[in-house]
Amino acid sequence: MPGTQFPYPRKSSTPTAYTPQRSIPLHQRRNIKNVATYIVGGFTLLFFVIWLLGGGSPKGPRIPLGTPEVVIVTPLDPNLSQSMVDKIQENRKDYAARHGYATFFPNTTDYDLMPSVPLTWSKLPSMRHALTLWPEAAWLWHLSSEALIMSPGEPLRNKLLDPQTLESLMIVDKPVVPPDSVIKTFSHIRGERVDFILTQDQEGLSVGSFLVRNGEWAKFFLDAWFDPLYRSYNFQKAEEHALEHIVQWHGTILAKLALVPQRIFNSYIPEPDMRNTYTDGQYQQGDFIANFRGCQKDPTRSCDEEMAPLMSRWRELRDSQWKR
Amino acid sequence: MSLDHSPTRDGGGWSSPGLTTNYDEGTARSRGGSPSKKYGDLMNGGSGHVTWAKAKAGSARVQRSNEGSFMRHMRKMSSGLPYFSDRSTYAEKEKLGRGRSWKRMDWRDLPRRVGLLISRRRKYVALLTMVLLMILLFTNKTVNYWYRRTSWLGGGSKFVIILGANQGGGVMDWKGPREWAIERDSVKNKKNYAAEWGYEMEIADMSTKKRYAHEWRESWEKVDVIRNSMRKYPDAEWFWWLDLNTFIMEPKVSLQSHIFNNVGDVAYRDINAYNPLHIAHPPNGTSADPNAPKYTNYLDPEALSAVGDGDPNSINILIPQDCGGFNLGSFFVRRSAWTDRLLDIWWDPVFYEQKHMEWEHKEQDALEYIYTNQPWIRPHFGFIPQRKINAFPNKACGDDRHVPEGGCRTLKADDPEAEKTECGIQGIHYQEQERDFLVNMAGCEWGRDCWGEMYNFRQLSNHLNRGRWERVVDSIRDYFKRRTEANQPQQQQ
Repeated sequence: MPGTQFPYPRKSSTPTAYTPQRSIPLHQRRNIKNVATYIVGGFTLLFFVIWLLGGGSPKGPRIPLGTPEVVIVTPLDPNLSQSMVDKIQENRKDYAARHGYATFFPNTTDYDLMPSVPLTWSKLPSMRHALTLWPEAAWLWHLSSEALIMSPGEPLRNKLLDPQTLESLMIVDKPVVPPDSVIKTFSHIRGERVDFILTQDQEGLSVGSFLVRNGEWAKFFLDAWFDPLYRSYNFQKAEEHALEHIVQWHGTILAKLALVPQRIFNSYIPEPDMRNTYTDGQYQQGDFIANFRGCQKDPTRSCDEEMAPLMSRWRELRDSQWKR
Repeated sequence: MSLDHSPTRDGGGWSSPGLTTNYDEGTARSRGGSPSKKYGDLMNGGSGHVTWAKAKAGSARVQRSNEGSFMRHMRKMSSGLPYFSDRSTYAEKEKLGRGRSWKRMDWRDLPRRVGLLISRRRKYVALLTMVLLMILLFTNKTVNYWYRRTSWLGGGSKFVIILGANQGGGVMDWKGPREWAIERDSVKNKKNYAAEWGYEMEIADMSTKKRYAHEWRESWEKVDVIRNSMRKYPDAEWFWWLDLNTFIMEPKVSLQSHIFNNVGDVAYRDINAYNPLHIAHPPNGTSADPNAPKYTNYLDPEALSAVGDGDPNSINILIPQDCGGFNLGSFFVRRSAWTDRLLDIWWDPVFYEQKHMEWEHKEQDALEYIYTNQPWIRPHFGFIPQRKINAFPNKACGDDRHVPEGGCRTLKADDPEAEKTECGIQGIHYQEQERDFLVNMAGCEWGRDCWGEMYNFRQLSNHLNRGRWERVVDSIRDYFKRRTEANQPQQQQ
């Protein structure tokens, strides 16, 4: 009879004693159980291998090949003589070429400093500009146009930037502004944490030569230092005193700062009439940097004349070291 | 009705003890479907004896086979039945010798029997337990609080509410009863909110202390307070500053659902969207003087971008803007290196010396100044529509422009009419219809009634958030009120 329902479940009328109840037969289950160990083990091994291989690659953004480690920033006054400009550029370019660094020579008048603000302030937008142009560079080095690099063979990494070297060099627990500022440099700071390396002369912090590590902190630091209210405040020594001010008032800046002995990378050349001989920081033969501090600003002095002997000495060094 | 085959017992397809047992003969208890003698005789070809092996085979068969659930239940029911059956039937069953003794009901046996029941209905017991646990979870305050606090569940402990109490009090001013009442209400409001959602709560005493009174820093204590809170709650992420004259209108709304679950949509990064201060954005590295010679723009692409890097995770501060610029009556800061720097640079003696006459709103003006002049700030700055976390009452910052009938949703995007209403980013005033989250009675101490406003808003908040039962009571009360009002004119006539 089509369409009628059978009153009984349609099952075999002669079942076996043990009808399997499970959808997957028992022996298949056992198989899965046996295989499962190997599957899980295999996956674990795979992930472990991936983790091992992946762990080796550096974290954070990849640094493209050919990125300079250091950018040397020297703002140039447009009133400088062309021969002077050439000498300064030659000096830095040679050093940069040896160690794979980059150089940057902006004009001091390139940036909007606001009216009646000393041009020396332009080193800050210059540095910020270099950050924009070389976003992958590790360090920025501001070297004043009054200074010369006197040992072209020494890379900054060996000299200063290596964390261990830096830790051995840095002056801890020293008043930031000599002789008796209550604010002292941190007594415990790790080399990797330092973002700002500079030197101190007899009068205070010296900004003729300083290093800033690229990063968010650098932007904060340079912007804060360059604030219009500091520029308009008429600090006696312009940005140098502004720096002393922010370092003493703002812990987030002091915490990143390392003072190193002046002659590491900012030796001063005594003034020609020996008014100021800079006892501690005076340049001696073999020093890395010779800074003719004040030679451009002081109308009675001539950078060209003062630099002449060291310039010829530098040329000798350069040629002898290239030959080697 | 036709039968395929005769219902033979050994045929197995239809062995159903529940149905086949003859109750009258007292074999009802025959669990496993061992047939009665009579039945067995008939079907087993008159063997006359139920052997153990046979019975066992039958019972195994019955228990293993996949019968319909109906059958199984029938069996269970039948196994329970003898409790209520006639005493005389027991004797009959005893003869079979396979039943258990049911002669005496032993109450000491009850736990075991309950245990047996539970073990048999494990599924249902588990389900019931789950349901009960769920009910407990969702209603129990302690459990709820714990759940909402835990950082990897509700995440409430990631938020700290900092309430600046006692502003301007202390050595400068004595508090009257009204001020005490305001403080009590405001503190209670935030405490309840923090307890509801498992947030941290910090009440900061902002009274003018002597150490600030003769120094420059007064009103920048806000910065110190936030810093101290960051130290006190090292695991918290967002810190919410609140002035005392604020009231959380919607305590049933969590900060997570209100803002932080989709902070990218709630906040706006480009200040040009609403810019009462006319700050040039993005910055171009010059002093914005149109007559100045063309200078080099030295800033990096991120600082020059109107929206930073566009990633909501890079927002480290959330500031509302009222008609006059930034408003720091209610704002969020997030723990980060960036925030440390901002809190550090926020107050500076050189800034202060030059600007303290000009900066009427002190730290608020200072923040606006830093935002304008230090480009590193902008990529991590977020603005939040004022009405989201800091709605003003009418008369503060101009008159209430109201929202259109049916709410802001009726307005289309880019509707020019929106400018004239409180809808969108430029909205400032509290809208009951839109159920704004928080009200800030800013400036009430100058010519307005702080306590009156606070009281009204508290009542309104209670009314808006009343429970279901209260709503029912209210509607009944309204109904009678309307009726008596309708009757009154008739009585007068």
